Amino acid sequence: MKRLFEVALGILAAIGGFVDIGDLVFNVEAGAKFRYQLLWVVVVGVVGIIVYSEMCGRVAAVSKRAVFDAIRERLGFGLGLGALVSSQVVNLMTLAAEVGGLALVLQLLSGLPYRALIVLGIAALAVVIWVAPFEWIERIFGYGGLTLLVFAVAAIKLHPGWGSVAHGFVPHVSSSDRLVYAYFVVGLLGAAMTPYEVYFYSSGVVEEGWTPKDLGLNRTNAMIGYGLGGFLSFALMITAGALFLPLGIEPQLIGTVALGAQVPLGTIGLILALVGILFAVGGAAIDTCFSGAYNAAQYFGWEWGKYRRPSGAPRFTIAWVVLLVLALLVIITGIDPVMLTEYAVIFSVVALPLTYIPILLVANDKSYMGRYANGKLANAFGLFYLVVILIVAVSAIPLMVITHQGQG
Amino acid sequence: MSGPEELDLGLGILDHQLVDSEGRRCGNVDDLELEDVREGSPRVAAILTGPPVWGGRGRLGRLASAVARGQTVRIPWEEVEKIDSAVHLRRTARELRLGRGDDRARRWVKWVPGS
Amino acid sequence: MRLSDLLSIEVRTESGERLGHVHDLRGELTSRSLKVNGLCVGGWGLLERLGVGSPESGGRIHIHDVVPWSAVVSASRRGIVVRDGTKPK
Repeated sequence: MKRLFEVALGILAAIGGFVDIGDLVFNVEAGAKFRYQLLWVVVVGVVGIIVYSEMCGRVAAVSKRAVFDAIRERLGFGLGLGALVSSQVVNLMTLAAEVGGLALVLQLLSGLPYRALIVLGIAALAVVIWVAPFEWIERIFGYGGLTLLVFAVAAIKLHPGWGSVAHGFVPHVSSSDRLVYAYFVVGLLGAAMTPYEVYFYSSGVVEEGWTPKDLGLNRTNAMIGYGLGGFLSFALMITAGALFLPLGIEPQLIGTVALGAQVPLGTIGLILALVGILFAVGGAAIDTCFSGAYNAAQYFGWEWGKYRRPSGAPRFTIAWVVLLVLALLVIITGIDPVMLTEYAVIFSVVALPLTYIPILLVANDKSYMGRYANGKLANAFGLFYLVVILIVAVSAIPLMVITHQGQG
Repeated sequence: MSGPEELDLGLGILDHQLVDSEGRRCGNVDDLELEDVREGSPRVAAILTGPPVWGGRGRLGRLASAVARGQTVRIPWEEVEKIDSAVHLRRTARELRLGRGDDRARRWVKWVPGS
Repeated sequence: MRLSDLLSIEVRTESGERLGHVHDLRGELTSRSLKVNGLCVGGWGLLERLGVGSPESGGRIHIHDVVPWSAVVSASRRGIVVRDGTKPK
C-alpha cells in the first residue's frame, strides 16, 4: 500500500514536471494560430516520449547504465563526444530559455527589473540544488507545477466547441498555411519529446537502484506521468484556441500565456497560472541543469548523482554550476526567452536522432538486455518513432527558416 | 565461472565505466595496451585511461586530448576483478591512482559551505 | 601496441586480397588474463560499428565473421596480413 502511495506521489510530481517552457510556448502559440487542429500532434508527441522514456528506463534498470554510458559504449569516443557536445549545446539553450521564462514570471509577480531577477533566479536555483535534498526539490516543484491545472479549468469555462476539439484529435493536414502548420507539428513534437527528460529519468533509475523487478513501475511511471502531463498540454492549447484565436492575439509573451487563465477565472486564475508556470519552469531548469551534468559525468566516467552531497561527486557538481553560469551569460544578453525557447526546441529535435538511435539499438541487443530486450510491440513503436524523429530532424531547420519561426 | 569466456574487446571493454573495489566510479576505459602482438600470441597487458590516451581515438580524440588536463594512468590487467556492463577493479581508486580529477575538484567544492 | 591502433585497419591476405576492416578483437577471458584469439573482420557495417552483439554470448561478442589469430601473418598499424585462403566464418 505504501508503495502505491509512493508511486502516486511520484506520478504527481512527474505531471507538474512534464510541462516546461517549450511546451508552454508551442502549445499556446499552436492554439492561437490553429485553434484545436494540432491536438493530435500532442498525442503523437506524448506517446513518443513514453516510448523513448520507457526504453531508456528499461536499459538503465537492466544494465545499471544511464543513457550517456550507453552512448559512449556504442558510438565510441569520437562520435560519442559529438553527441555529448550537441546535447550540451541544446541543454544550455534550454536552460537559458527556462531561466529567462522564470525571470519574466517573477517580474510579473514582483515588478522588479528583469535582469536583476535573472541573477536572483539563477542564484536561487543554485542554492536550492546545493542545499535541499533532492526528494524535497522533486515534490515542491512537482506539486507547484500542478497548479497549471488551472488551465484545464479555464479551458472548460471558456466553452470551446467540443466538437471542434474532438476533431482536432484526428490527424489531418490544415487547408491553409501548410508550411506554418508543418513547423508547428515539428515544434510540438520537439517540445513533447525533450531529450533532457530521458537523460534525467534514466540517471534517476540507476541512482535509485532499480532492477528488472521494477520494469512494470517503469512502464506505469512513463505512461501515467507523461500521459497526464500531455493532458496539461491539451488544456494549454484549448485555452489558447478558445481565447486567443478569436481575438487575434499572438502570444509572444509569457504574460499573455497567463492571460489564458485570467480572462475566464479572474485574478485567482492569473495568480495560479503564474505560480504554476514558475514552478514548472523552475523545476524544468533544475532537471535540465542536472541532465547536462549527468551527460558529462557519464561520458567521462566521473562520479555522479543528484542524491549525493556536492563533495561526493565534485566534477559532477562543478559541471552543473558551470552550466548555470553559462546559462546566465546567455540569457543576460537580453535575448528574448520565447524566441530562445523556439530555437532550443528546434535544435533539440535536430539532435534527437543522435541519442535515440543508440538507445533503440541497445534496447534491442539481447546480449545486453537478455529477455528484457525489445519485443515486437516495443520495436513497432520504437521503429515508428525512429521514422518520425528522422523526418522531423531533417525538416526542422528548413521549416524554421522558410516560415520565419512560424510567423509565416 | 567454469572455463574461459569469450569477449570482444571493443564491444565489451573499451569505453566502459571503471569501478573500484568500493564501488566508486573512477574513469573510463580509454584504450587497451596489447603485448606480444608480433610474436603471435597477443594479450591485453593493461587498461589505459586519461586525457593523453584520447589522442589515439580519432580526430575528436586528438582535439579533446589537447584541451584537457590530466595524466595517463596504466592499470595492469591483473587488477581487473570482473567485467559486466562496467569493468570492476580489485583495489581502490586511490591505490590505483584513479579518480584524481574528482580529488582535485573536491578541493574547490569544499570551499562552499554545505558541501 | 594499443587496441585503438588495430581497430578499423585493413585486413588483407598475403596475396593482396582484401578481406575488409577490423571491427573488433575477440578475446578469451580467464580469471588472470585476457588473450586475443581472433579478429572480427568485415566491411564497413554500420550495425557492427554501433555494437550489435550476439545473444548466445550472454555477452559481449559480435555477431560476426571471425578470423582466428593463428591465421595472422603480420600485424602493424599499417594493416593486418593473414594467410592466403583464410576466410572469415
